[in-house]
Amino acid sequence: MNCEEATKLMDGYLDGELDPITSQTIEQHLRECPNCDQAYKTHGSLIHAIGNATPYYRAPAELRERIQSSLREEIAERPMRDVGRDAQPLFPRKQPELRTILSGASWNWLALAATILLAAVIGWNLLPRLQRPGADQFLATQLIASHVRSLMANHLTDVASSDQHTVKPWLDAKLDFAPPVVDLTGEGFPLVGGRLDYLDNRTVAALVYQRRKHFINLFVWPGEAGATRPTMAMSHQGYQLLHWVNSDFNYWAVSDVNANDLQTFKQQFELQTSHR
Amino acid sequence: MAAPLRVDYAFDAEDLESSAKIVKFAIVKKHQEQDAAQEHELASFEETMLPHMDAAHNLAKWLLRNEQDAQDVVQEAYLRAFKSFGGFRGSNGRAWLLTIVRNTSYTLLKKNRTVDLTTTFDEEIHTAGHESVSPATILEHCENAELIKEAMDELPAEFREVLALRHQEGLSYKEIADIAQIPPGTVMSRLARARGKLREYLAVRIGKEK
Repeated sequence: MNCEEATKLMDGYLDGELDPITSQTIEQHLRECPNCDQAYKTHGSLIHAIGNATPYYRAPAELRERIQSSLREEIAERPMRDVGRDAQPLFPRKQPELRTILSGASWNWLALAATILLAAVIGWNLLPRLQRPGADQFLATQLIASHVRSLMANHLTDVASSDQHTVKPWLDAKLDFAPPVVDLTGEGFPLVGGRLDYLDNRTVAALVYQRRKHFINLFVWPGEAGATRPTMAMSHQGYQLLHWVNSDFNYWAVSDVNANDLQTFKQQFELQTSHR
Repeated sequence: MAAPLRVDYAFDAEDLESSAKIVKFAIVKKHQEQDAAQEHELASFEETMLPHMDAAHNLAKWLLRNEQDAQDVVQEAYLRAFKSFGGFRGSNGRAWLLTIVRNTSYTLLKKNRTVDLTTTFDEEIHTAGHESVSPATILEHCENAELIKEAMDELPAEFREVLALRHQEGLSYKEIADIAQIPPGTVMSRLARARGKLREYLAVRIGKEK
């Protein structure tokens, strides 16, 4: 590497954005070239000093209030009320001009029209409810999708380690909560690693365990304080799901192992986490 | 014919009224559900996006150099973000919001035409003989926040932008490229030019003080 190249790459190097091989080549050059070495040192301290001294303009409190109230106005102005307006002709008594138009028409027709409209409204109101899965069902679908994706896309773990003392600090650093991590090798569920995932509008921890040739994804995120729910087992699209809540966390275990194995897994996990 | 017609009328009108009540009930119920869904969406939006308000305000302030404009842009950006929040599936809410803030700021800058967005090469500054100021002297003056602010404000917007994103938000080149909408390979050279220019402007100011 010559001085010209080294100068060109200076900012990238100082920002730690170069690949390791290029960085090593630069370091090699700096050892041999005092001029460049000096230039790097000066520029580095300048970048550092500028970064430290540049004023940071925090948002004033009134801006926060302004934004929050404008968001609420935005919601209130959304065109949902159109439904109400469309339905108004159904109240002929409040609309005298309508009566004069309708007085010539047969009431039988009007009753028929009302019946059709009523059926339409009821149908439109009920149908989505029949089709829409419950909140848990919906979450279950997301959980299974996450589980399947993790096995498919060669992205089972972000941190691959059977050592809970490696996985836990990694997750703690990435999340705004500290999920319990235990290795269950002795219980027949070796820890494979951990991963970040995105579920239910938040970042969650996914702990990956193995059962023979099968994988178990255990999704963990903080629960509401004091919330209690009975353990819930579900079977969906051929996958087993087990959900439980303890004082701090929501747990969802997803796997293609059989329901008994998943129950055992849950018991062992709870037993081991309660020991510490 | 007159008598049966009246009977029909009485019967159907009553029927109509009860239909109307059911319809009314259905509509009220529907509204309640929609309201609840909107509340939920808003809560989730606020949880994801409000923590990045300082970053949004800081970037807007550096780009616009005016507190009132900065606040207006941040508010506008939050509204835009909320409207398209349904399409947001990423995990980097800050980068997403900053992209919107950046675009909104540029729209305003272009509208006001107060600055040249790309380059302002000031001959007066350039000829002031900054070469006599050594890097060590610049370094000594770097604790002077006011000096840095003035020098930064003289830079073109595209330089202020990368400097704020890198030095203050600590974003990676990849994230900066996404927000500033430039190729990742350009980020390094733009930062280098921005820092070089800043150094030059600082030197000029220090030289004048002497």
